[in-house]
Amino acid sequence: MIRVVDVHKRFGTLDVLKGVSFDVHRGNVLSMIGASGSGKSTLLRCINYLETPTSGDIFIDGESIGYRGDGSRPRRPRPLAEINRIRRDLGIVFQQFNLWPHMTVLGNVVEAPIRVRGMSRKEAEAIAEACLRRVRLLEKAHEYPARLSGGQQQRVAIARALAMQPKVMLFDEATSSLDPELTDEVLAVMRDLANDGTTMIVVTHEMAFARDVSDRVMFLHNGLVEEDGPAAQIFGAPKSERLRQFISKHVHA
Amino acid sequence: MSDSLREILDIGVFWEFRNILLRGLLVNFLVFFGAAAVALGVGLGAALLRVSRFRVLRAVGTVHVEIFRNAPDYVMIVWVHFVLPLLIGTLLHTRFELNPFASGVLALGLVYSGYFAETFRTGIEAVPSGHLEAGRSLGMGETLLMWRIVLPQVVRRMLPESINIFISLFKATTIVSLIAVPDLMYNVSMITQQEMRPLPLYTGAALVYFAIVLVAGSALRAVAERWRAKIT
Repeated sequence: MIRVVDVHKRFGTLDVLKGVSFDVHRGNVLSMIGASGSGKSTLLRCINYLETPTSGDIFIDGESIGYRGDGSRPRRPRPLAEINRIRRDLGIVFQQFNLWPHMTVLGNVVEAPIRVRGMSRKEAEAIAEACLRRVRLLEKAHEYPARLSGGQQQRVAIARALAMQPKVMLFDEATSSLDPELTDEVLAVMRDLANDGTTMIVVTHEMAFARDVSDRVMFLHNGLVEEDGPAAQIFGAPKSERLRQFISKHVHA
Repeated sequence: MSDSLREILDIGVFWEFRNILLRGLLVNFLVFFGAAAVALGVGLGAALLRVSRFRVLRAVGTVHVEIFRNAPDYVMIVWVHFVLPLLIGTLLHTRFELNPFASGVLALGLVYSGYFAETFRTGIEAVPSGHLEAGRSLGMGETLLMWRIVLPQVVRRMLPESINIFISLFKATTIVSLIAVPDLMYNVSMITQQEMRPLPLYTGAALVYFAIVLVAGSALRAVAERWRAKIT
């Protein structure tokens, strides 16, 4: 359902992505691991066009995010409004939560369903409450984000993304800025989502999560996929020397 | 105390003319609210120009800010009242006049739009880019982001500084008396000429302005503080 085709990304003279391709099927969880600077976050941000790929294309259910038209005619870049329309189907959760501080928790979650999807407030609130219940924060609906812990803020951010009923959820190091004792509550929510059949692409440093929850794990190195396979294989029988080193450094037995 | 000194100090004359003085004060408030509306509207427009993606628009915004922020209030009032109508009249080949009230509102509004533009701009730039990315990723367009995510935060952030600008603007409304807008200061001057009692009249005016600025300023600051406390 998501197809990434030969994505390159260059910042100035720096090649961050040097041609990455992969597919993710409905209901699957793909984890991307790799050292910082390997390009995994940039890749995730390219998938929903927060970064525009220098070349390559991304398809959701066969529809290109960045370009109009089919294969027969020359493709033209899509205007921003159309990218926005397709982007609704991709929920993303950031490292820095990025909740809007002037809105309550409920306000954050209903904002896009009302303003972007055009739902009535009542309808949006019903969905928002269901989403907040999924992240176990319904009782905080009327608090402002500043009153919540980092872990709670991140769970609200997950609920906010879920409220748009996206086809895919992207997680960009969702637990990296949390204190260790707060990461578990966020990972638990992510596990629940995965178990419910949510299609997910997860950039993470949490090797236990990648190993236990993902169907597939991709190891990125220097802007390329170095190794790619089922979680058991990546962690149990890594082929490349680099991946072996990476795993021995990051997985504490 | 001699009788003459007592007469000079007698604030009673201020009370005696309370009706006309109150009407003057009302004019101060009208000029203030008119100019504040112009300043906020034009200032927001100029700030949006200054954060635009297009270099030409950014330059227009910068020129606006520099011209109006660096113009003395009084010079701007005189220029708008006496020069601007001549220019417009010449261009349109008709007689064109601005009444003093309109000139005062427009001139002060423009000067203070320069200050507000800078306050808006710093506020807009202070909103973390992650807040915008979160909105974009949910499918929000740039206009929606500006009105729903950026400006509500800007307004809260710029409140303390805005209160200072509003206070300066209120104090500046007194110089519209120089182009014969019948504000409190203008009426005080008129009565002084007639009564020859400058001390109680001017002192009374000073006390009235002082009391208003003090009370309104503290009240606004208290409200602003409580409002901000919720979100930070």
